[in-house]
Amino acid sequence: MTKIQRLKEIFTGLLMLLGALIILTEPSDGYLFIIFVLSVILTVMGIRKLFHYFTMARFMVDGKTSLYKGVMMLDFGILTGTLTDVPRFYVLIYLICIHAFAGIIDILRAREAKAYGIGLWKYKTVQGVIQLLIAAVCIINVNNPRIAVFFFGTGLIYSALLRIVYAFRRTGFVYIQ
Amino acid sequence: MQEDFHYYATYCAAILAGYSHEESMDISYSSQFVDRCSKTLLLRINAPLNAATTQLQLEMMDARTDIVGLQDITRIWASFHFLPKDLYAVKQGHPKIYMNKYRLICGPDSDLVKSTVENAKGKTLQAAGIAMHVLADTWAHSNFAGTPSLVINNTTDDFAEIVSKDGTESERKIKFRHSPGTPDDIENNIYTNSLYQGSENAIMNLGHGRAGHLPDYSFVKFKYLPAWNEYRYLIKDNPSDYMKAFGQMIYAMKYLRGEEAEFETGRYADDVIAPYKERIDAIIRKRQLIASDDWRDFGGELSGTAPEEFDETRYQGEYCSTSDKEATFLGHFINAAIMHKGMVCDHIYNSGNPLAGFVWKRIVKKI
Repeated sequence: MTKIQRLKEIFTGLLMLLGALIILTEPSDGYLFIIFVLSVILTVMGIRKLFHYFTMARFMVDGKTSLYKGVMMLDFGILTGTLTDVPRFYVLIYLICIHAFAGIIDILRAREAKAYGIGLWKYKTVQGVIQLLIAAVCIINVNNPRIAVFFFGTGLIYSALLRIVYAFRRTGFVYIQ
Repeated sequence: MQEDFHYYATYCAAILAGYSHEESMDISYSSQFVDRCSKTLLLRINAPLNAATTQLQLEMMDARTDIVGLQDITRIWASFHFLPKDLYAVKQGHPKIYMNKYRLICGPDSDLVKSTVENAKGKTLQAAGIAMHVLADTWAHSNFAGTPSLVINNTTDDFAEIVSKDGTESERKIKFRHSPGTPDDIENNIYTNSLYQGSENAIMNLGHGRAGHLPDYSFVKFKYLPAWNEYRYLIKDNPSDYMKAFGQMIYAMKYLRGEEAEFETGRYADDVIAPYKERIDAIIRKRQLIASDDWRDFGGELSGTAPEEFDETRYQGEYCSTSDKEATFLGHFINAAIMHKGMVCDHIYNSGNPLAGFVWKRIVKKI
């Protein structure tokens, strides 16, 4: 990783930490903040998809799918930004899917690492269990939207810390003889 | 390609090029080890991770697809399994962001293959084995790129096998399913492939995943519609390509042994193959999921000693138990892998393509 990429990771991590603190200290506005974040994410994804279409996908077979997806995502992003009363249930479902998927991948990865006899499997197992626990708590409290705010904040802190740790990790170089 | 070609067929080619049984075993072992040397394995034996020549499935699922992660993936797959055909390919009206991916499409008889073989000259048998793996894969994996890319590696589902009977060719529909645990059904033409993933850099869009293992089976000739070829079908004639791969390996190893003055692309040691052509053609065209037994028998007939079965752990104890790791079998392999990866990535970077990252040049201890 280059120095610029390390700085970018640290900066993004700090921004995420700041966002998480705002959510956790102001839970009443937290839900609106989540909607805002979702709106921004969808809008950015839509714009990226359109950029992908105009620079790359228009040259490929069936590339128009990217154009349609881009337009739809952008549309959803703008629509989400205008709403203040989305059923909160959907926000929880979104969080459950994200955390459960990440947890399953981590545990599969841990099993593979264990089969190869390397120590990484313990770290990966803990990571996977934490993700699955977060998903389970979200399922149990599916009718309590404040939980969504709390776990979104916690998840943000977790991701932010991982980014910062990753930025300080040593990365390999290729040597040439 | 699979163990049948990278291990047993490479052994046969090495014998035909004039190497002894022991030397041929070392070359074929190194060739096959390219498909096993993952970061997970290197972690276990406490070896440098930048020597990784492949990635396990779950390593890939765990990989980040930001630019750093993509470069890591591309360094491995473009260097060892999908050597680019033309880093300076031109296509009018296509932006650079597209061309960076397009120029990583793999193909045989390229300048990079020449550099790969020439780079192994005068080096260890492990370096020769790695070069043979890379060379062979340029034939099997042609028309796919060793970087995640929807616009290059995606295909439609419209695949057909081209079957030849009594001198006439007909098409037989190929069906796909997404069931990695189920073996391919070659009788009913049902194969496993990767799921469609609409994201440009999704790991599912790496290499020939969308075509399943079809490029890895020597018997099959098929046609398909790749994403990048302006709506034109491609015909992949594996029996012909595998024969050329085998011939080119023999010629390349003759060059490495000093029997040929230079390595030129487009030469396939036809004279060496001629007495065995029917036998080799029969192995290549036999309808089977893996041809290891046939190649092993052929190797045994050529050298008088059947090649041993591949054992991934054979040299790991030696590597772990000594302080002079560079002098071990795996030490030689690791040095050769790093050297090859550096050479390919340097070529990619110098062509103005950032997808494999840059190479930090320094002189490492000669082996």
